[in-house]
Amino acid sequence: MKMENGQVTELPVPSKAALEQERKILLDLGNDIARVREKNDLITLFSKRIKSFFYFTHTIVTLIESKDETYTPFLLDHEHSPIRDHNRYGEMVAAHFSLNDPFIQAVLAADGPISFLLEDIMDKPQSPSFLKVNYERGVREILMTTLRNEEKPVGFIHIYTDRTEGFSLEFRDTIKGITPQLASAVANIIKNEEILNKEREKSFLLEFSSEIAAVRTKEDLALAVHTGLSKLNALRGYVIRKINEDGETLSTYIYDPGIANFDDPEWVAVTTARFPLYDGLQNRVLESYIPLLFSVEREVQRGITSSYLHYWKKVGYRTMVGIRLHYGITNLGILWLGIEEINIQLLQGICFQISVAMANIVANEQVEKTQQEQAFLLDFSNDIAQVKTKPDLEAAIFKVLDNALHSKLSMIRLIADDGVSMPAYMFDNTLFVNAGVTHEQMAASVITIEEPYTAKVLASKDGVVFDIAEELKGGSAYAKLWAATGLKYVYALPLRAGNKLLGTIWLHSDWLSQLVLRGICAQISVAIDNIQANEKLLAYKKQLEVENDYLKEQIKTIYNFSEIVGSGEAMQEVYRLMSIVASTNTTVLVLGETGTGKELIARALHNSSSRKDKLMVKVNCAALPTNLIESELFGHERGAFTGALDRRIGKFELANHSTLFLDEIGELPLEAQSKLLRVIQEREVERLGGKQTIKVDVRLIAATNRNLEEEVKAGRFRADLYFRLNVFPINLPPLRDRAEDIEPLIHFFVAKFAKNTGRKIRKVSPKVIQQLRSYTWPGNVRELEHLIERSVLLATDEVLQDVYIPKQSTSDKQDLSFILNRTLEEVERGYIVEVLKRCAGKISGPGGAAEILDVPGNTLHSKMKKLGITKADYFS
Amino acid sequence: MKIVVIGGTGLIGTKVVANLRQWGHQAIAASPITGVNTITGEGLAEAMKDTDVVVDLANAPSWEDKAVLDFFTTAGHNLLAAEVNAGVKHHLCLSIVGVDLMKNVGYMRGKMAQEGEIKKSTVPYTIIRSTQFLEFLPGIANQATKDNEVHLSSLQFQPIAADDVALLVAKAAVAEPLNGTMEIAGPERMHMYEIVERYLKATNDPRKVVPNNDNHYYGGEIGESDLVPAGKASLGETSFEKWMASQAANA
Repeated sequence: MKMENGQVTELPVPSKAALEQERKILLDLGNDIARVREKNDLITLFSKRIKSFFYFTHTIVTLIESKDETYTPFLLDHEHSPIRDHNRYGEMVAAHFSLNDPFIQAVLAADGPISFLLEDIMDKPQSPSFLKVNYERGVREILMTTLRNEEKPVGFIHIYTDRTEGFSLEFRDTIKGITPQLASAVANIIKNEEILNKEREKSFLLEFSSEIAAVRTKEDLALAVHTGLSKLNALRGYVIRKINEDGETLSTYIYDPGIANFDDPEWVAVTTARFPLYDGLQNRVLESYIPLLFSVEREVQRGITSSYLHYWKKVGYRTMVGIRLHYGITNLGILWLGIEEINIQLLQGICFQISVAMANIVANEQVEKTQQEQAFLLDFSNDIAQVKTKPDLEAAIFKVLDNALHSKLSMIRLIADDGVSMPAYMFDNTLFVNAGVTHEQMAASVITIEEPYTAKVLASKDGVVFDIAEELKGGSAYAKLWAATGLKYVYALPLRAGNKLLGTIWLHSDWLSQLVLRGICAQISVAIDNIQANEKLLAYKKQLEVENDYLKEQIKTIYNFSEIVGSGEAMQEVYRLMSIVASTNTTVLVLGETGTGKELIARALHNSSSRKDKLMVKVNCAALPTNLIESELFGHERGAFTGALDRRIGKFELANHSTLFLDEIGELPLEAQSKLLRVIQEREVERLGGKQTIKVDVRLIAATNRNLEEEVKAGRFRADLYFRLNVFPINLPPLRDRAEDIEPLIHFFVAKFAKNTGRKIRKVSPKVIQQLRSYTWPGNVRELEHLIERSVLLATDEVLQDVYIPKQSTSDKQDLSFILNRTLEEVERGYIVEVLKRCAGKISGPGGAAEILDVPGNTLHSKMKKLGITKADYFS
Repeated sequence: MKIVVIGGTGLIGTKVVANLRQWGHQAIAASPITGVNTITGEGLAEAMKDTDVVVDLANAPSWEDKAVLDFFTTAGHNLLAAEVNAGVKHHLCLSIVGVDLMKNVGYMRGKMAQEGEIKKSTVPYTIIRSTQFLEFLPGIANQATKDNEVHLSSLQFQPIAADDVALLVAKAAVAEPLNGTMEIAGPERMHMYEIVERYLKATNDPRKVVPNNDNHYYGGEIGESDLVPAGKASLGETSFEKWMASQAANA
């Protein structure tokens, strides 16, 4: 530092020429500065101007960095620098030289340019290395001038020369003179650079923003991000990771197509993986307000095991910048940049734009998804609207679950009429095959509403989601079954129609949207409710049809007795028995000859029982072909036998809560007897071809004109059935044994038929009454009724004068054997007494015995005398 | 060592930086002026590169309760995140004696949040809690002045010279991290009004000091001895008299 010529030498008065030079340089410099576009142009132009007056090798400008008190090259003369090819040139350009050394302190202390011989100073311990480097390239002397801004040092002009004569006084003066100009030029360049940078950032962000504004989809965003980020200097790659729906992992959302490598399984793995949010790296980015710069190596050493970090290391990324993408307080994801430095303003700007776009896309996707779900529900609703039957519903449900929701129906259970049990209604046969559960097992499984899982579901509003893995931990037996499906969750929902709980639906799926789930369950509920109502309606309709048919048939066939006519002693006994048994549920066996009114008695019993509100059902066992009896009595399922085209409700079912009247029970085939017996014992029936039994509450009344005891003995009637039926027998007397009732019956029928036929018959002639009384009435009351009907039709005036009793030419063959064992006299005597009894002791005249016997009255008298027949014989 | 001093252009910061440089360390005076902003994160990652120690002397730009809390939380959070990433081995923070006691004072709650961030982080740390600086005396006097009378409480007070603070901070910065707290204070303890009275007298200030028992400090009531170290503390060497003398010399 002995060469402080500038300061020790007296300053000579500058020559006019020198002043002129300085003025010219300043002028030119002013023009140059205005033309400068690139910062190093300034130094080039400045060198050129000065060199036209003075000699030097090259010049550079360094700037002071106040934060660490260093100075660093700013403007370089690439053209003339002799050290450009020095192997330390790169190091020199990037170096920060300390202000804390005697050389530069001397420069700062000097008031104006100060020169040094490199030889003298370059080897001093604290001297900056550039002195030596320059010396090695032939430079001998350096002229240093401090640039000041508002009195504060901001940088230095370094002027180097390889000549030993150094820098002239005039040169020093000129430099001193133009230093302030140069200082402000440098300040301007710095400001301009800043403004330019800001401008560039702003236009970049503006451009990026307009690209982002057009983004509608993820693909658009990927393109915009790629276009934008490609403009960043030194960017080696990027990836955007999005926080997944679980909120615990992140997956690649957008990747840099420039570094995509589908042939590299590791790249593919990193791009498709879900990385846990709390992996020690991603969480740090998401928790940071500012972009973070990571050293890949340091994070690896820290023990972060995330595979992407190790992939980055493998592909040679040294540093990565991670920036949180967030919208409001909601974190969306992370933008990872393979870059060495951080430009906060720019990155924040970029990330803000990306975040907004991402949030919009996510919202859009959500809206679209909701719309799709709604459209889907509408479709399903249309499908469901067409459903009339259970098979239709099953088809609709399986279609929607399999095709659209990738879910499986495990079970629909409906609450039975008892309000407690829940039998299976619909299920997927195939679902639990792996677990060894068969169709039959599923169909037969009945649970109750108290089953814990079911109770939980029924109590819930919108159903319960069971995580199968969780349930497995709890050791639930159901969960083991569920796990066999390979799906993650069981969605169980209550089925409700209005306020009514119908049952439960159980679905297996990996994921189901709540909206869709609730939607389809509501639809299914309504459909099931409708189907059930429909089924009930059909059943009622069927029953009504059957009842209607039956009634029509009955109107045609039954005796329209509104009451039983007759007050004779025999009938009094019948009435007594009836009054005892009517109000009970006891099985009654009505016995009596044909036409004695067995059905009338049965009907009277029914009508005076508590079951009278329901229709008594009658089955004529004799009227049915053997092979149809069972179907008639017990009903049959569709397809139970050839010709069973429809389901048919049996008479037993029809007579539920009523009375079943089995007429002509004696005619029932043996095979049917055993079945009937079973029904009577169990009080439940099973339809032919059906699987379930139906409980019935039926009161039985059976009737026959046969002697059942005889039948049992002959093996034509089951004894056990007979005993079952013969609980309370009522014997109806034949009409010939209740002659006293004949007259009231005549009047009853005459009135009835007269009314029916519209004839006015006021009276029945005594002759007719006598005639009818004396008839034996093998057909009993029914015969009488028909006889009167015919007589009324044939009557010509208001008095019934004639009846048409069939001639007894065809005498009862049944009596023949009886007769054959007797003497002629006995036969004759018995026969005459019998006839007299029937004719109430009248011997001659119309309706008299003589008429029936077709002998004159006198002949009969003498025959009676001869045979000793007295009044006592026929009035007994 | 490379040591980044956050708030390195402030009262204590410049002195700490100077000390460290004098001891041959590469000290970076970081502040928004020098392009390092702990709130926006600007320049932070670059500054942290290859840094061994970070000394945080930054102060909140506002005294409003929420602003202070936000500043210390955010700045601390950002700074420590950058330090973790850069592998910084020691984080030193200047705090206040009694910061944990004066919960009524918003500024103290901000500083507590800052200490919390530090303890939560994985970076080895030293927290230095200091008493008030002697340099605050004129400010304290001015703030308490009403009609030419200075109304001050009899709170215990043990102010330390900024130079001493800077020295103790610089020493701690190059020492091993404590992973704990140390306290520093001035060599003399007296009442608050007392020392201000002495200061006014020494500067020929005509204002009269009126003592009171109002224990309010920056908007919150505090305990009598909250501002002085309760236990063992490193003491600065500069007494009031010595400090006054150096002030006079500088002026």
